[in-house]
Amino acid sequence: MIRVQLSGQLKEWSSGMSRVDVESGPDVISVVRALDARYPGLGGRIVDDQERIRPHVNVFVNSENSKELGRERAQVRDGDTVHILPAVSGG
Amino acid sequence: MGQKVALMVGTKKGAFVFTSEGRRGWKPSGPYFKGDEVYHVAYDPRSGNFLAAVLSGHWGPTIASRRGLEGEWKVTKTPPKFPKASGLTVAKAWQIAPGTPDQPGVVYAGVEPACLFRSDDGGVSWKANEPMLNHKTRKKWTPGGGGLCLHTILVNEKRPKRVVVAISAVGTMVSEDGGETWGFKNRGVLADFRPDKYPEYGQCVHKLAINQSRPDVIFQQNHCGVYRSDDAGESWKDIRNNLPSRFGFPAAVDANDPRRFYAAPLEGDFARVAPGGHFAVWGTDNEGKEWAPLDAGLPKASYYDVLRDAMVTDQEDPCGVYFGTTTGQLYASRDQGKHWSAVADWLPPIHSVSVSAV
Repeated sequence: MIRVQLSGQLKEWSSGMSRVDVESGPDVISVVRALDARYPGLGGRIVDDQERIRPHVNVFVNSENSKELGRERAQVRDGDTVHILPAVSGG
Repeated sequence: MGQKVALMVGTKKGAFVFTSEGRRGWKPSGPYFKGDEVYHVAYDPRSGNFLAAVLSGHWGPTIASRRGLEGEWKVTKTPPKFPKASGLTVAKAWQIAPGTPDQPGVVYAGVEPACLFRSDDGGVSWKANEPMLNHKTRKKWTPGGGGLCLHTILVNEKRPKRVVVAISAVGTMVSEDGGETWGFKNRGVLADFRPDKYPEYGQCVHKLAINQSRPDVIFQQNHCGVYRSDDAGESWKDIRNNLPSRFGFPAAVDANDPRRFYAAPLEGDFARVAPGGHFAVWGTDNEGKEWAPLDAGLPKASYYDVLRDAMVTDQEDPCGVYFGTTTGQLYASRDQGKHWSAVADWLPPIHSVSVSAV
């Protein structure tokens, strides 16, 4: 089981849920697809048309930014927590 | 009490709607999508729905709709999205255009990178126009300063299969078969930023406008001139004449007099400010043979800048004209631009102004 912690701003896309458990892996994009399957439209807020993480979105696997782990292909294992957060933009 | 009119304003920080009975006094509402950029708001008179092109800095672009003035905005779960094989990603939607009265449910959207999208369910789900997406010249298309954007969509109530679009900096494209094929319509339009001054495509069209009573006549504000076509874009004639500049962004046509056009000139490409520091809308009663400034009620000193979608005409009689500035002023005229009054002086930078009877 993978626990997904969503930014509060994404709750309108996830029926008000900020914490969602999904079973799929093995990587970040699989988790995003699983989220979108459960909450249609949510995936498109996290990744673009090419399934790249949007420039001002950060996806952490546990405490590591997925940018350092292979971005969309960053591995996600059973028991991990994926945090999806808006990036700090501007000053 | 007159006709109820809604003035829809897309800004850098959300959307606002102003309503009026008889265009005397405007009641504001909003902001909607507070903090997000709203590039365009359209009203679909067939369904009574409002549609908005919204861009979140974090969560990307989408389309939202709302039933009437009191409905709740709902963001679609299936916004315009390019097929994966294209390698493209929708950066933002620039324009939303309801289809013709005989096409209930059809709504078009123009996006960046340039492509036309179509919805057959009133703006809920969207599909890219494949012939445009796969156009044989596409790899040679180049962006204007605002990006490679499809910013204008003109439907034709008399010929529903004709769709006219404008792309910066590609030019005018027309489909006569409902979007199955597309041809360029730029003959006579200057592109003097290129070595070939009159190419088949590559023109920097800024805005097109028509009157539905005479849709073959198209008024064009271009980067390199002000033009009129009398034959649905087959050929173009420069109608700058006594305008203070060939440069500007918006274009509008009077609802009741199709010979009357409105432009908003800026000094030029390298000085995008009101000529002489005094902004005026310019109008012509004779399709561009002569132009006159329309500035009664506007400040004498006014370095206003009006973007391509930020000046429109309504469908009332006499025709109303409206514009919004990048510094947040919204002006209205209920008499063809002869007199102006400020509707608001407190808005965020204005991307677009739309108007409709509701």
